[in-house]
Amino acid sequence: MKKDKKQKNRHVYWNPYFGGFLLGIIILFTFYITGRGLGASGALKSGVVSIVDSVAPTHAEKNAYYSKFISEDNSPLNTWLVYEALGVIVGAFISGGLNGRIGWRIQHSPKITSKRRLIFALGGGVLFGLGAQIARGCTSGAALSGMAVLSTGGFITMLAIFGSAYAFAYFFRKNWI
Amino acid sequence: MVKKKTAKVLALRYKLLAAILVLLAGGLVLLPKYQKHEGIKPQELLSNVISPERYLSTDQLALKLINRDPSFILIDVRDEKSYANYSLPNAINIPLKKLLDEDSEAYLNQNQFDVVLFSNDNFYADQAWILCNRLGYKNLRVLKGGTNRWFSTIINPLKPSEDMTAEEFELYSTRKAASMYFGVVYPDQVAIETSETKIEAPKKVITVQKKKKAAEGGC
Amino acid sequence: MGPLIPNGEIPIEWDSIIAILIGIAFGYVLEASGFSSSRKLAGVFYGYDFAVLKVFFTAAVVALIGVYYMDYLGYLNVEQLYVHPLYLWGAIIGGVIMGAGFVAGGFCPGTSLCAVAIGKIDAFVYVGGIMLGVFVFSELYPLFEPIYEGYFYGNVTLEDSLGINPYWFVFIFSIIAIVAFVVSDMVRKRVKKVFY
Repeated sequence: MKKDKKQKNRHVYWNPYFGGFLLGIIILFTFYITGRGLGASGALKSGVVSIVDSVAPTHAEKNAYYSKFISEDNSPLNTWLVYEALGVIVGAFISGGLNGRIGWRIQHSPKITSKRRLIFALGGGVLFGLGAQIARGCTSGAALSGMAVLSTGGFITMLAIFGSAYAFAYFFRKNWI
Repeated sequence: MVKKKTAKVLALRYKLLAAILVLLAGGLVLLPKYQKHEGIKPQELLSNVISPERYLSTDQLALKLINRDPSFILIDVRDEKSYANYSLPNAINIPLKKLLDEDSEAYLNQNQFDVVLFSNDNFYADQAWILCNRLGYKNLRVLKGGTNRWFSTIINPLKPSEDMTAEEFELYSTRKAASMYFGVVYPDQVAIETSETKIEAPKKVITVQKKKKAAEGGC
Repeated sequence: MGPLIPNGEIPIEWDSIIAILIGIAFGYVLEASGFSSSRKLAGVFYGYDFAVLKVFFTAAVVALIGVYYMDYLGYLNVEQLYVHPLYLWGAIIGGVIMGAGFVAGGFCPGTSLCAVAIGKIDAFVYVGGIMLGVFVFSELYPLFEPIYEGYFYGNVTLEDSLGINPYWFVFIFSIIAIVAFVVSDMVRKRVKKVFY
């Protein structure tokens, strides 16, 4: 059954345990080489900082938050996480390409319209961006990498993310099921 | 038949994986614990010991103090009594027996300043230097000859006799100038400026930031 | 002994190249595990697909066990690893906001980048939303500063804050993970299937 599904369905993914195992090895390897974990939202933050810095440099310097990430001789984009995020995009593109999953589309539940999906995506993104800054990390940076070194902050962030996601799941159920 | 067997094994595969996981995790708990070797390797320590870089001469130190070089801190490893009696300007007292205290670590283990250790002679300072080096602390140096040589060269320089070279005389005059900076008053100078008071070396406030961890992260 | 770059065993110039290589591996694994699909991700909250939970917990357990074995064998010094700092209320409030964003948008930043790579338009919008969120945070930074900077407990691990032996914790955590996997499979059998 699995086999003929594979021919029809592009949405056949790795066994989650296998994926998780490899992901764990990658985290371990990252810690072994660089002494730090993975991350994603940090790269997007660097992106925002560099956009603001190039559009309105004086404003960026005055703002207490942007100015933390701006230095004279270094572009805010020249950070480890930005390179890593570029790698993530390349890696996902390779995997998607090998499995024929590349294509422009909006993925949503048949019960809702594309427009609704996009509005919720935008709102969710804004919330996630805001939350990731307050907590200094997202699911990969704070929760996943934090858990791998038993960081208390990482565990608390992880529990807060999943706890609140379960709590709010009821209100968004129409979007997904 | 073979297919059936493999199917049987495959049905068990998750249980097998879970068992392996538990075994591995349990192994961590059961492994015998041992004290980890802390600090740098003996070979590295030896190469640090024989490096001439580890000493600072009294003349170099005097120059640094006069120029108010902000890049170093002086640490007096003698006991509190000697420290109260006399010490070099701006020196911090960390007696040898308190060297491994937590408060001391903030001064010794940091990347902000060079640390210059001294005692009456090299002896105790050298011991402190080796201990700290062994722990992997960086930028440590010892004042060659300690306070004894500080007195005999800077505070009370020996006047060269007539048959010595010009360099000796030059050295003497710089040392003499330095000693004046540190508050020694010479008779020939008193005749000219009687009103001059003892100049205290400027006090500098030393604040040490805690050493950052090697790796930085953030999402 | 690791970590290799902070200890100078690999020159720092390699840092960016290694970052890209690690990123590629990370992105590949995320995409291949199905994390580029928001409906698969959201499944964990409605019980129709537990891939997120399985991947996440397996990764954490594997990394934890690996880190402590490598530390034990002397290849890696746990003390030198970067520990995510604990800003108690920042972590809680930020986490709660992120959780709401997660279930509303169906992605987290890492997975949205994967979905961008394979051309999901909703993911593009989501990434734009994240950047907008960062922008909002930065502009209103004075408002958030007390939470962002306050309640700081240092770069603490569970060992420091709970006084728990890390080895025992890893062991207990692995068992919790296995129990969670079993329970999640039981839940999934009861929940109505959703095709996506």
